[in-house]
Amino acid sequence: MSSDKTKPVISVRDLKKIYKIGTNRIHALDGISFDVRRGEFLAITGTSGSGKSTCLNMLAGLEQPSSGQITILGKRIDRMNEHELVAFRREHVGFIFQSYNLIASMNAEENVAMPLVFRGVPREERRAAAHKYMKLIGILDQAGHMPAQMSGGQQQRVGIARALVIDPDIMFADEPTGNLDSATTSEVLDLLRRIVREQGKTLIMVTHDAGIASAADRQIRFMDGRITEIIESRTEAADDTEATDDTEGCIGAAGESV
Amino acid sequence: MRASDLIILAIRNLLRRKTRTVLTVLGVVIGTASIVVMMSLGLGMSRSMVELYQSFGSLTTISVYSYGTDDNTKEITDETVRSFARLPHVEASSPLLQVDVEARSGSAEGYITLYGVSQEYLQQIELGSGRLPAPDQAELELVYGNMAPRMFYKSSRSGERNYGDGEILVDPMKDTIFYVFPEGSAAQARGGSGASSQASSAGSSAPSRKKYMLPAVGMVKGGPEDYNEFSWDVYCDIDTLKTFLKKIYKKNLVPYPRTNKKGKPVNYYVYNQAYIFVDKMENVSLVQQQVSDMGYQANSNMQWLEQSQQTMKMVEAVLGGIGAVSLLVAAIGIVNTMMMSIYERTREIGIMKVLGCDMNDIRNLFLTESGAIGFLGGVTGLLASCGVSALINRLAGSIEQGLGPVISSGGGISYIPPWLGAFSVLFAIGIGTVAGYIPAKRAMRLSPLAAIRNE
Ligand SMILES: Nc1ncnc2c1ncn2[C@@H]1O[C@H](COP(=O)(O)OP(=O)(O)O)[C@@H](O)[C@H]1O
Ligand SMILES: [Mg+2]
Repeated sequence: MSSDKTKPVISVRDLKKIYKIGTNRIHALDGISFDVRRGEFLAITGTSGSGKSTCLNMLAGLEQPSSGQITILGKRIDRMNEHELVAFRREHVGFIFQSYNLIASMNAEENVAMPLVFRGVPREERRAAAHKYMKLIGILDQAGHMPAQMSGGQQQRVGIARALVIDPDIMFADEPTGNLDSATTSEVLDLLRRIVREQGKTLIMVTHDAGIASAADRQIRFMDGRITEIIESRTEAADDTEATDDTEGCIGAAGESV
Repeated sequence: MRASDLIILAIRNLLRRKTRTVLTVLGVVIGTASIVVMMSLGLGMSRSMVELYQSFGSLTTISVYSYGTDDNTKEITDETVRSFARLPHVEASSPLLQVDVEARSGSAEGYITLYGVSQEYLQQIELGSGRLPAPDQAELELVYGNMAPRMFYKSSRSGERNYGDGEILVDPMKDTIFYVFPEGSAAQARGGSGASSQASSAGSSAPSRKKYMLPAVGMVKGGPEDYNEFSWDVYCDIDTLKTFLKKIYKKNLVPYPRTNKKGKPVNYYVYNQAYIFVDKMENVSLVQQQVSDMGYQANSNMQWLEQSQQTMKMVEAVLGGIGAVSLLVAAIGIVNTMMMSIYERTREIGIMKVLGCDMNDIRNLFLTESGAIGFLGGVTGLLASCGVSALINRLAGSIEQGLGPVISSGGGISYIPPWLGAFSVLFAIGIGTVAGYIPAKRAMRLSPLAAIRNE
């Protein structure tokens, strides 16, 4: 068990992604390596076009890497075929989108329960699970509302509940606050932090905004497909999860470059 | 994904695009209806054809003939009739012993042929009144065809025959009828050799022939206008007839016996015709072939029906083909609708894939949607065809009444048997599913990245 705790949930080694456009070769990712600890809130940050989304998509198995290794929960994601990747997401991964991506023809409750439909969970169980997570996030009163009737913040909360409903090990979020105003942004960020803390989830969030990134336990900064900087933020996360790492966390917070 | 969730999701997706779904379904409705109506016409036509042939005679009966008199012709004897009965699929056989008689009742007279047949044959006759003649009786009992009394006429002084102008002159069940049997070849031979000078006055000796009063014990079912295969003839039990004729013609057995090479009458019965009763319609041509191989002329209603049925199959295929073209157009409509739906739902499909929806489930969702279009169109199309079919039959019925009973088609010219109904719905579902296959495959392969992009 103890070895399981120290072992990273996600391990990325020398990851490369090359897009070919005509005769041009774009090195969207150019040799990335990092680990993610269990129960960590990690932010991937950097300017637009630095390769953040490309990296996240490959972690979620939405895109095939050109080379390199991705190991999640001991499984080699880069070696899976599309069927296996879908099944892997269904069992272990929750995904939060920038533009919420709720199904317009379904109400909030149905949207939240959607991933359980894909798992073949019976209707009553789905309802119960959807209620549980909507209550947790504080949108139970919106259960019958259609997406078009809800504000951006409310929609994103539904999106978060949907990602949580399968009780995933890992959650991915690509610019989850990108479409929200600043007040709502901080509310959503607080919510995400609370979930990581209380539910013990591992969350990887992509954002171009350094201020938002600082809400995470740790930040990885990208530049032209390479990691330029890894920043350990405030240490309270480390305090909660790994009390013995306290001093290391403080030193790490000073910043380390690769 | 559970099947119930798949179906609910498919229906919700169809309801989201009501107008387009309705229009696509309408295409399938028209396609299905045109196939069903076209095929129902073909089926109705072949059904009334079968009915028509059935009115000509049983479809499981084979008639065997032997009319030639040269040495090559095979004779039909009691032994051959028995050998027919031993063939596989044959239920019974009957010889046909014909005697032409003159009949008289009061001032009416008529020429009638008596048919001596087996009990199995007699049992095929549906009686309107009375009973069938019992086997091997002392007295010769007759069954009259329902139209046979129309053969009686009254002669006017000028020699014209008056058949009663629609009025029946004789009721065989009530009126007494006397029958005069022919003199036979033996009497003619005697007349020819003994008193050739008296040959011309043979006619005048006719009254001296004995009259027999024979009872009619039954009448074939139907009025004087309702034709069936037994309508025009008079039947009796063959064994009783044989005994009866023996009394008149002694060793000759029958009025005009066959003779052997020495010119002597043969001492057994030779028939011109016999009947074979087969167990099922399907086996008729097989048995008929065997009888032909034995060297007899044989024919059956089934043989003609089979030929006509082959023609009808062609007609049905052509009609069905015409209908199929419109269903093909409908299928293209389904493909088009599903393709459009994929373009519209690219993002949604991407989201489903990101959230872990199995690729096979995505394919099945699209197949279910297009199959449901087929099902809705098939069922509605079937109901529409039933309506159209009823309308056609009513119109055709009123035209037919004007024409009189020339073509009788009891069930109407358009006929939708249950199998056609079931087939058309299944076929429409099948067409829908097949039409949805390529779009479904395409949806399944869509990239989940479509969900990520921000427009
Ligand atoms: N599908 C693609 N085809 C070609 N180039 C791409 C594709 N996706 C991303 N890129 C390129 O890869 C680089 C990294 O993109 P991305 O990961 O989206 O950056 P970020 O999310 O950090 O803004 C950019 O230069 C972008 O133009
Ligand atoms: Mg991006």
